[in-house]
Amino acid sequence: MLNYEESKKVVFKGLILLAVVTLIEVAIALIGNGHIIEGMHWPKWLMYPLMISLSLYKAYFIVYEFMHMRYEVRGLSLSVLMPTVLLVWGLIAFANEGMHWNTSRAQIKEKNAIGLKSDGQSSKSSSEIHSSEVPATEAPATH
Amino acid sequence: MAALTHLEEEKLIKEQGYNDHFYDHHHGDKHQMGFITKYIFCQDHKIIAKQFLITGIIWAIIGAAMSVIFRLQLGFPEADMAWLRPFLGKWIVVNDDGIGSLDPNFYYALVTMHGTIIVFFVLTAGLSGTFSNLLIPLQIGARDMASGFLNMLSYWFFFLSSVIMLASLVLSTGPFSGGWTAYPPLSALPQASQGSGTGMTLWLISLTFFVVSVLLGGVNYITTILNLRTKGMSMWRMPLTIWAFLITAIIGLLSFPVLVAGFLLLMFDRGMGTSFYLSEIFIGGQALDNVGGSPVLFQHLFWFLGHPEVYIIILPAMGLVSEILSVHSRKPIFGYKAMVFSMLAIAFLSFIVWAHHMFMAGVNPFISNFFVLFTLIIAVPSAVKVFNWIATLYGGNVRFNSASLFAIGFVSMFISGGLTGIFLGNSTIDIQQHDTYFVVAHFHIVMGIAAFFGMFAGIYNWFPKMYGRFMNETLGQIHFWGTLIGAYLIFGPMHYIGLAGVPRRYFRFDSFETFKQFDALNQFITVCAIIVFALQILFVVNFFYSIWKGKKVTSKNPWESNTLEWTTPIKPGHGNWEGNIPTVNRWPYDYGKDGVDFIPQIKPLAEGEQHSELHQ
Amino acid sequence: MITEHVMTDEHNHGTHDTPGSWNGAAEPFKASYGKLMMWYFLLSDAFTFAGFLISYGALRLSMPSWPLPDFVFSTLPGGITHAPLIFVTIMTFVLILSSVTMVRAVQEGHRGNQSGVVKWMFFTIVGGLIFLGCQAWEWTTLIKGESMTVWTNPFGRHIEDGVYLEGDGHDIKAGQAFTVGAPYLIHYHDGHYNQLKYKNSAGEVKEQAFGPKAFGALFFFITGFHGFHVFSGVVFLLIIMLNAMTGLYQNRGNHYEMVEKIGLYWHFVDLVWVFVFLVFYLL
Ligand code: HEM
Ligand SMILES: [Cu+2]
Repeated sequence: MLNYEESKKVVFKGLILLAVVTLIEVAIALIGNGHIIEGMHWPKWLMYPLMISLSLYKAYFIVYEFMHMRYEVRGLSLSVLMPTVLLVWGLIAFANEGMHWNTSRAQIKEKNAIGLKSDGQSSKSSSEIHSSEVPATEAPATH
Repeated sequence: MAALTHLEEEKLIKEQGYNDHFYDHHHGDKHQMGFITKYIFCQDHKIIAKQFLITGIIWAIIGAAMSVIFRLQLGFPEADMAWLRPFLGKWIVVNDDGIGSLDPNFYYALVTMHGTIIVFFVLTAGLSGTFSNLLIPLQIGARDMASGFLNMLSYWFFFLSSVIMLASLVLSTGPFSGGWTAYPPLSALPQASQGSGTGMTLWLISLTFFVVSVLLGGVNYITTILNLRTKGMSMWRMPLTIWAFLITAIIGLLSFPVLVAGFLLLMFDRGMGTSFYLSEIFIGGQALDNVGGSPVLFQHLFWFLGHPEVYIIILPAMGLVSEILSVHSRKPIFGYKAMVFSMLAIAFLSFIVWAHHMFMAGVNPFISNFFVLFTLIIAVPSAVKVFNWIATLYGGNVRFNSASLFAIGFVSMFISGGLTGIFLGNSTIDIQQHDTYFVVAHFHIVMGIAAFFGMFAGIYNWFPKMYGRFMNETLGQIHFWGTLIGAYLIFGPMHYIGLAGVPRRYFRFDSFETFKQFDALNQFITVCAIIVFALQILFVVNFFYSIWKGKKVTSKNPWESNTLEWTTPIKPGHGNWEGNIPTVNRWPYDYGKDGVDFIPQIKPLAEGEQHSELHQ
Repeated sequence: MITEHVMTDEHNHGTHDTPGSWNGAAEPFKASYGKLMMWYFLLSDAFTFAGFLISYGALRLSMPSWPLPDFVFSTLPGGITHAPLIFVTIMTFVLILSSVTMVRAVQEGHRGNQSGVVKWMFFTIVGGLIFLGCQAWEWTTLIKGESMTVWTNPFGRHIEDGVYLEGDGHDIKAGQAFTVGAPYLIHYHDGHYNQLKYKNSAGEVKEQAFGPKAFGALFFFITGFHGFHVFSGVVFLLIIMLNAMTGLYQNRGNHYEMVEKIGLYWHFVDLVWVFVFLVFYLL
């Protein structure tokens, strides 16, 4: 445990730190999307992981310093933090499902389009549409 | 060394127990003044347990009666139901020949309410609510729950939720009728069916309050078990009941909030016209302008709770059964730590398998593979537990009474239903079996009947502690054998007709050429269901009769059990122990140790004696 | 409720009976049951928010396109536009500041300094109110100014290259070219949304499409749910501050544990905002 003066300092440090991290996040968003330097665009695979890790760091700091988790008994912090691991699989599964709805919706649209255009007869046109418009992963429909 | 006499016990508690100054502040009187504070706004955990139990029993009667009505419809679709008009009014449609039949809408409403009531109100509140409240303070050596006030609120939220659900039963449009899982669009569009309007609104409000009740109870159970154990009651000396309640409460704390998230989004779809769960829907030939949502999203959110929920139901039953089997076979529970770890494993796994309910809902087959894998892994800790129960019984000096018989029946049911679970966990097989009577048979056996058996075992076993009297043993055994045989006769054939492809949630089958051959079987099932229902009424009669007229308990520890609740007075008052709180010196399963039949937890180790839990 | 007891049983040897906080009659986590309850309540509340945010993720990934946050959130009070993410950054600062003042209140409570507790709690409440005010302004701008509702989302992004055939009287001029991913706002004039016509690279004439409905609905819903937490936090803070002023907690002699508990709640609200900020404004 810190004494009173020390903990007052931690608070001040925390304020600066959270503010700075937030500013960095916003800066990444603005620079990466070309708001600061015209025409400059950073790829998503660079921006997203950066912003996510910075946010996780902020979350860590809030929980550990502001909510005092660092100074609690280990068991308490484990009992609160471990369960959140369950969300990882939830996140993966839901995200995967979201993308799946996206592709299956696109597939249905594609199939409808084929049906309208050629009454489902021409397999040539179906494969054309498939390769040009829809980022689907599965084979085109043959009726 | 022999079991403790009454006097020895008192002396032990007096000398070794400790004074927490509970009686310095006159808690005892404060809480037991008038009828209102004693029975209504009571904060004593034992009274709250009874409140949960009796509310649960009332709901069980309602829920089971509903099943009898829809079973009549399924078994005898042509029969005249006009005699039900006095109860059901316009839901019985009487034709020109005076023959009454069930309104199909009402059939669905009945099935939905039956599921909701039994799953949430009876097997969650009535089971976990009752026994967590009764046993946690008594078995860990606490005066009461950590917060008696929140505990009281927990019951009253359950009560409020009950009242709202009850109100939905008497709506002119009927209660919600889209299944206990409340899938959209039936639940999301008020105009989708009769029950989707006000019925669904009340359903949602009711269950939201119910979640509040579960959470209030849950944080209380967890913190009580952590902070209020008596001196010497280390975690590894807690009875398995307490472990089960602890893990159940944790599961509830983490899964019910996700259901609330799903419910709130649903409320917006219903009330605000958003499209979280809706896309490209036609009603009455009219396209709705809801686009972009996904009904499967709700299913994910629902089953993220829904699967853990089935373990919220079964784990307390497992805890009760473990304790009862050990006590009545006069043997230590086999594999105490393995029991705890398998419960923890089940709890963890229960959060990552939810989509096995949705293999046929359009879930990405790729991700289904993982759900199959995780689901099948659950069989391992489940099998460990089954093995341990059997090993506990093996070679035991088993007392066959209502409590232990129901506990054994639980094991039987859990095995039978668990096996069919493994069928269903394989998505390739589930594609055939989903939404057939095979699934109905699976979950009624493994969850419905098994959890009821755990609950009955618990009631028969702890009735003396609750009311200071025994329940009638003969009636109890009739209840057991009848229910055991009846349950298998009801649900056994359902596996068969399910494998033959008969779908669940159909109003009648006799117009399908392929299903006609099962008419006789369906009649048989219905007859069995009615008999089993009658047996449950017998139980209820036994229960209430015994409260006032049962055989009186004359000694503190009628089952010769080791746990702390049997060191309290026969009718414990507020604060549970009259003087000091007892100190615990050993684990709860010293049965038959060194030739001694049982050694209560408060008894210190003898000279040179080893702790049994060290060898676990 | 229970005072600390140390085991003094001479019979006991071995690991199971070494006096320890797990052996009963003690608080194994060195925290009162009230504080534990708050932690576990927050844990479950975190799962509620997780449910929302994960649903948000699934719905967003199920859409072919999603509005660009730094285009959507780019207004400031006083009619300033083209100030991407500035306003929400200020809101975030306000919330961080109120978290800091909350920490100070808790620290003063540990010292038993009544006036310090009240002072810092007051600042916290002010911070919370300013945040709520900002949120109200942000919502009003989106609803009144930009006509975004839970049913209609005028913020879209192009899914193909093309050239506008007409202007909207704001930023877009006829003849202006755009590329895939370019954001746009469909303005609402005289009772209808003015979807601009454009010609795509294949020469077809099309209209700007509305953005995914889920965007607006999720935005209002999730920030609203967070705002509701802020609001109830302010109410609780107010009650507890008043209690602190009466000297109630001073008399309890438990170092203002109540302030500590509401502090946990308040930081949790800040914590949730970290993720709301991430998914709605940054990603
Ligand atoms: C080895 C263990 C188990 C496995 C592998 C398993 C697997 C499954 C699967 C795959 C389904 C979905 C069937 C379908 O709808 O097509 C299912 C349904 C169900 N299971 Fe199990 N299960 C197991 C144990 C349990 C237990 C212990 C319980 C309850 C205590 C339970 C309760 C339920 C319920 C309530 C349903 C049906 C819900 C509904 O659709 O209305 N299961 N089970
Ligand atoms: Cu399941």
